[in-house]
Amino acid sequence: MASLLSLKGLHKSYFNEEIETAVLHGIDLDIEKGEFIAIMGPSGSGKSTLMHILGFLDRPTTGTYHFLGEDTAGKNDDELAAIRATKVSFVFQAFHLLPRATVLENVLLPLLYHPGIAPADRENYAQKAIASVGLSDRATFFSSQLSGGQKQRVAIARALVTEPELIFADEPTGNLDSASGLQVMEVLEKLNQAGHTIILVTHERTTAEFADRIVHIKDGLIESDTRTHERRRAGADVKLK
Amino acid sequence: MHFSDLLSTASKSLQRNIAKSTLTMLGIVIGVGSVVLMSSVGASMEKVILSQISSLGSRSMVIFPGSEQEGGASQVFAGHDSLTFDDIERLEQLTTIESVAPIVFMSGPVKRGREESSAQILGAHPNFFSNQNMEAAEGRLLDIYDNDRAARFAVLGPDVKEELFGESDPLGKEITVGDSSFTVVGVAQALGSQFFQNADDRVYVPLSVARQATGQKYANYITMLATASFDVAFADVQGLLRDRHKIENPEDDPEKDDFIVHSSEQANAILSSVSLGLTMFITTVAAISLLVGGIGIMNIMLVTVTERTREIGLRKAIGARPRDILLQFLAESVALTLLGGIIGLVFGLVFAYLIAIIAQSFLSTYVFAVSVPSMVASVVMAALTGIVFGISPARKASLLDPVESLRYE
Repeated sequence: MASLLSLKGLHKSYFNEEIETAVLHGIDLDIEKGEFIAIMGPSGSGKSTLMHILGFLDRPTTGTYHFLGEDTAGKNDDELAAIRATKVSFVFQAFHLLPRATVLENVLLPLLYHPGIAPADRENYAQKAIASVGLSDRATFFSSQLSGGQKQRVAIARALVTEPELIFADEPTGNLDSASGLQVMEVLEKLNQAGHTIILVTHERTTAEFADRIVHIKDGLIESDTRTHERRRAGADVKLK
Repeated sequence: MHFSDLLSTASKSLQRNIAKSTLTMLGIVIGVGSVVLMSSVGASMEKVILSQISSLGSRSMVIFPGSEQEGGASQVFAGHDSLTFDDIERLEQLTTIESVAPIVFMSGPVKRGREESSAQILGAHPNFFSNQNMEAAEGRLLDIYDNDRAARFAVLGPDVKEELFGESDPLGKEITVGDSSFTVVGVAQALGSQFFQNADDRVYVPLSVARQATGQKYANYITMLATASFDVAFADVQGLLRDRHKIENPEDDPEKDDFIVHSSEQANAILSSVSLGLTMFITTVAAISLLVGGIGIMNIMLVTVTERTREIGLRKAIGARPRDILLQFLAESVALTLLGGIIGLVFGLVFAYLIAIIAQSFLSTYVFAVSVPSMVASVVMAALTGIVFGISPARKASLLDPVESLRYE
């Protein structure tokens, strides 16, 4: 598989009134295209910070981050925004849908910022994305009329619509009951099988077990990095029954 | 982000918060509405005044006795006797003056039986009627023969006719003016008001009769018609009267003269200075109301940015650049003020129209008029208000950190 991203000696510190708080203490990580990887760790471990840096929402303090073979250091805000618009996308724990907008409007949203998709084609892309999460019959519903699981599936459709290289899912099941959470994980699993690279950030082992590879983070360092393909399959089969 | 996306995003955001958007716009609506209303009423009044001036004709001049006071406001000292009939004879000889019509006021009640009118009584030279472009509504006006033989004939203004005769025919009937009896020979056409005096509440008698009755050796005022250019005639009249009255006034100081020459052209000049004053007044009101409206917009936009912090975070996460966020919020505030401006424009016009309908029942010459420059300027200013007061909230939104914004509760 081709390399998607590569981190070398990544550090991240926050400065608050000259007091330095180090969050990541030197992360080395390589992720290839098509992987389904879970980043696990207790709260405060730095897993969210890592995801924000990987997703170009934040910058490392030191260390290198190569994305699609390109060093991302020195890119300005607009260039990072362009990467977020076209190459990566996010599914958040809190869904972050516009409440008084329809499902279709929510899914169309990222295309406003995507330079490569013509306005005339937007609706096709959006309908395709909505269909792939099984919500075509809800396209005209307001997002406030949907259940939590449906909301998260809309958020997944929104993440898919730009056909990104990489999808981040930040505690995607955190606000859902277990049945809805399972549905959402199945959608993500299907997307991975269709070739999408997915990085899942979670502290729940059952959710993480959908991934092929689990990276444990503790106190800003990678504690373990294990491929779990067989175990995940077994685990998933059990759950699906 | 395409421009059309910007517009549709802004309009959707405003629609999603329709109640708040409406309330936010209210300041601008009222501001622009009042400006449009006031400028329309101002334009209507200007037309009313212009119609009074132009009814006199552009060659017409009026000379009053007295001297003009400082500050451009003219003041006539009543009873001043500077315009003698010897002056008038000399004025008639000027080649630049076509006709001269002196007026002598008579006093005393105007009566018909028990009906009484407080009309003004003008002893008018027959030229007066032609100078004023007046015609008779009934019967005839006074002519030179009436004047020569000092006939006890009277022409009534339409209001006097109404007062004394109601609907009945006044022609050939007798009325009493002061102590004498007069025969009504005609009714003048309606003039409305001239220089803000009711020109219809008048009784005209021959000048010779008024001179006999009062024994006056001077005219209360004189109307004249210039042959061609007002400017040349004005200089001639001024030179003649200064010469005769022994006034040294090479610097043209109106306070030194003992007469005042008015013309419709001068009245036009006064009108334009009045309308300049009105424009400045409206501009001040517009500036204040747009300032207040703009502060309201800024206030609401700042609240909106805070309320929508998570939306801003999301938009940034899905690829919006700081510039996109800035333009989005700026577009929203401009859309609010522009829409408010347009709604205000419509309301202002509707109210101005209603006022015109009501005003017409009091002032028949009132017409509905609009000031297009004021309308355009107030809407454009409203839109600019949106930019000026929207820029700071929009900038605040554009600079939000995406990670912090997404976590905002």
